[in-house]
Amino acid sequence: MTTALGSAAEILRAAKIVEGVVGNAWATDADGRFIYVTPDALTFLNLTLDDLNTPPEEGSLGWKRVIHPEDYEAAAATWRHSLRSGEPYNVEHRMLLANGAYGWGRSTGQPLHDGLGRILGWYGTVIDAGVSTSADNRPSSQTTDAPVHDAASNTPPLNLVHPHDRPAAEQAMARAFWHGIPQIVSYRRRQADGSYRWAELRAEPGYAVSVDVDPMVSKPGERWATSDTLGETVEAVRGARAVEGLFGAAFAFDPSGTFTYATPIAQTSIALTLEDLNEPLSVNSFLDGGDLGWKRSVHPDDYEDVAAALRRCLRTGEQFHHEWRVLRTSGQWVWHRFAVRPTHDTQGRITGWYGVGIDIDVYKKTEAALRERERELSQLIDMVPSHLWRLSPDGEPTFFNKRMADFLGMDAADMASPGMSRLDRLIATVHPDDAAEFGNALNRSLASGERFAMRYRLRRADGVYHWMSSRAEPLRNEEDRIVQWYGLCHDIDDQVHAEDALRESERSLRQLIETLPALIYCAAPDGKPIYRSQQLREFLGFNLEDKDEGARSRLVGTLDAIIHPDDLAVVKERYGHSLESGEPYALQHRLRRSDGEYRWVETRTAAMRNAEGAIVQWNGVCFDIEDQVRAQEELRLSQESLARASQAASLAELSASIAHEVNQPLAAVVANSHACQRWLNADPPNLERAQKTVERITRDANSAADVVNRIRALFRQSAEARTGASITGVVAEAREVLTEEALRRGARMDVAVESGLPTVRLDRVQIQQVLVNLIRNGLDAMNSLAGPRIVSIRARRSEEMVRIEIADRGRGVEFPERIFEPFFTTKGDGMGMGLAICRSIVESHGGRLWAEKNEPQGAKFIFTLPIEPDATP
Amino acid sequence: MNVHDHIVFVIDDDVRIQEALEELLASHGIHAVVFGSAGEYIDAEKPDVASCLVLDVELPDINGLDLQRQIAEGDHPPIVFITGHGDIPSSVSAIKQGAVDFLTKPFSDGDLMTAVRAAIAQDRQQRSQRADLELLRQRYARLTPREREVMPLVVSGLLNKQAAAELGISEVTLQIHRRNVMQKMVAASLADLVRIAERLEMPVTHSRRTGGSSVE
Repeated sequence: MTTALGSAAEILRAAKIVEGVVGNAWATDADGRFIYVTPDALTFLNLTLDDLNTPPEEGSLGWKRVIHPEDYEAAAATWRHSLRSGEPYNVEHRMLLANGAYGWGRSTGQPLHDGLGRILGWYGTVIDAGVSTSADNRPSSQTTDAPVHDAASNTPPLNLVHPHDRPAAEQAMARAFWHGIPQIVSYRRRQADGSYRWAELRAEPGYAVSVDVDPMVSKPGERWATSDTLGETVEAVRGARAVEGLFGAAFAFDPSGTFTYATPIAQTSIALTLEDLNEPLSVNSFLDGGDLGWKRSVHPDDYEDVAAALRRCLRTGEQFHHEWRVLRTSGQWVWHRFAVRPTHDTQGRITGWYGVGIDIDVYKKTEAALRERERELSQLIDMVPSHLWRLSPDGEPTFFNKRMADFLGMDAADMASPGMSRLDRLIATVHPDDAAEFGNALNRSLASGERFAMRYRLRRADGVYHWMSSRAEPLRNEEDRIVQWYGLCHDIDDQVHAEDALRESERSLRQLIETLPALIYCAAPDGKPIYRSQQLREFLGFNLEDKDEGARSRLVGTLDAIIHPDDLAVVKERYGHSLESGEPYALQHRLRRSDGEYRWVETRTAAMRNAEGAIVQWNGVCFDIEDQVRAQEELRLSQESLARASQAASLAELSASIAHEVNQPLAAVVANSHACQRWLNADPPNLERAQKTVERITRDANSAADVVNRIRALFRQSAEARTGASITGVVAEAREVLTEEALRRGARMDVAVESGLPTVRLDRVQIQQVLVNLIRNGLDAMNSLAGPRIVSIRARRSEEMVRIEIADRGRGVEFPERIFEPFFTTKGDGMGMGLAICRSIVESHGGRLWAEKNEPQGAKFIFTLPIEPDATP
Repeated sequence: MNVHDHIVFVIDDDVRIQEALEELLASHGIHAVVFGSAGEYIDAEKPDVASCLVLDVELPDINGLDLQRQIAEGDHPPIVFITGHGDIPSSVSAIKQGAVDFLTKPFSDGDLMTAVRAAIAQDRQQRSQRADLELLRQRYARLTPREREVMPLVVSGLLNKQAAAELGISEVTLQIHRRNVMQKMVAASLADLVRIAERLEMPVTHSRRTGGSSVE
């Protein structure tokens, strides 16, 4: 018989054992009334024992206060079910913690029976499920969606499992229970006829798994057993069994480290019996540094630490907590966490140890994986070539990645500074010119939840500002409240500078184009105008789009508007040809200025091609050459008139000059003659003075003769200027000089030059003068002629000479020889030098010049020029 | 005609012409001074006798016609132009400007001498007139201010009474001034004084009629 007090003590002891291993435990009486809860747990939940037993309202349970409302009904139902049925209690739920937040937890409970199978009370524990498992691994939906008692009914009763497979099945269920990960294991299931069939067990988390396996049920011959003598470790074994009820793998050993109990599963899973565990592997006892058989189950890398720690605990009586890899029967190393506590007798002497080993492989692996993932993630975050930052909903920086921290020279934590919010501190790192806008934009985003995006200059640790492109987006929770802001900040300094440089170069290029004193334009490959420089726009007085009208294309519209009508056809034809062929285009034409005046321009256009050689654009330049054209025209005209004037004037001027030269000595001669005469006539005659004057007369007369000689010499001297030339060209030139004059005088020139005339060595200018002079004489001779005024010019070969005849139809020559004498003239205004000079020129060329009577009327002047000896064909 | 009471200046850049003209003029008993350019002539010191300038149109420094215009302002000898190739516009211009003749080289002895003699005679007359005028000016300069006031009134034909009233003096005083003026200006009669006043280009400030009507 057990008294109520005794039963309470029994339950309490079980709870304490659990508490010793797990950290918290609870105990209730058979009716579910709490008699013990680990004080720390109460503090943690901000509850007293009475609170747990005092229903907040009729019909509810005391712990409703700390269970999430959504989870309470299921948990309460499960609990009531367990109280009624005596089935173990196991439910996952959210618990209200002292800090006001809910945390996931798993409560498990186990009844304690007396010898008659009556329930003395319940003991159990709460495991914080949310702590060491990630959200992904936490089985939330199954537990809430599928009530535990329902799920439990699907669990195959262990008596249906072949005894050999039970440990595996049990373990799978325990693992599922602990890790929240479904476990799958194959086992032989007993059929109704008593035979076994292979089946698969899926152990879902949340199943209540009873590990209360009676060792006596196990089959003789199985390689696991309980020590024959428990000795002083009875208490420890009992502890082990209590824990085993909850965790499935427990053991006990005596103060020397010799195992006296091990949960069957423990033995089978590592394939070591108690004997095997305790088998001495060396002479020394364990405490003295010797090794026991269980060493085989410990990973070699872990063993020394484990053994040393255990020996220390055995000596000191400290609780033992350790994690190591256990060699599973399957040959796998599996991480386990071991917790071992001593039991004491009344004198406080250690009587034995009991403990539990929990498979934490998944944790370990998960943890490692998580750690690896976190490492990778943090590496990723730090390695991303960008600044990453996180702000609280209030804008307080809570995280900078390494790059950003390095850049700023401070971490998010360093942002805290007295008298300044972290946000202000963050704003202070922005360039003063950008800070206000940055602050405004950020605050606006923080207030509105809108995405933040901005470019600004951020101060680097060394004080240099860098251009940044920054963006931030809020992360919202299920209630759509902003939890935090994630930001990315990209250093675009080089880009900005490059952009600036590019923009600057673009600007200066554009300015260059705009200011170049030329009209510049660009056109699409089809010729459509797409750009005009400032100067061209001003010149034309309209913009690109202004000619986009009607059915005509912009190109046609523009051309029609700006090209002189006389030039339009050729411009269109040539431009069209260029567009088609890709050949450059260059043309001079008249372009309409905005004031309506057409100006001569020279337009040059060439294609700009891409890497593939396809035309991407036409670029053109257009120079206003109006002034140039006009100047050229004027120059040409003045040159022509000058040529005519010089041809006309040279002989006249020469004549005047000669006249002066001759007149001077003549005047002196005359004066001296008169003086001489007077001296001779004087009374008495002054012979001396007369003599003197006569000398002067002789001298001055000679001087006059010299003038004439010098004129002849003048023409002889230019012999060096002579070159071999075709008389045909010289005749043509002379004719050209006089064309206009002949036209004016109503006369025409009839030129007939024999083909294939040999070249003549001549001074081109002089012979041209001879020709012009003779032709003009001919024209002069026909001034008063009524009939057709024709000067015929003939050139032909005559023996070793080229013979040129200039014939007119005038009155003819009265004195064919005298006309060649200097100062002889038949003209009213003539000086009488022209023919003299002409003859002088021709003779200096080795030819002859004479006059004949022309038939039927007029005069004919003939001159010959010797053929160049080596030029004879 | 004395050899030394007249002179001919010749400006021609051609030494042969200079020599020939100098000789020809000498054979006619006329002293000539020759110059090669207008500048030389302007700078030279010239004797104060009746003279003539024989000027070539084509000169190295300035054109003869330009020189004529340049010296037109002051007293200068009459000019006889000579030129190598005379053209009508030049000769017309020269004669209009007061040239005595325009001769084209070569010219005859007779033509030249006629022109030179005419020029010298003209100059002699001009010089005599200038001398007379100078004498009158010297005499006028000796008049007192009051006499200079009296003289225009007298030559204007005002009666003594009118002239005295004009000046605000007595008729007797005016008569004294008038007599002094006649003596100082060596005028034989009032008519002579009027002629002298004309030569001096003295303005006639009063007419007897207007003066008379104002008094009556």
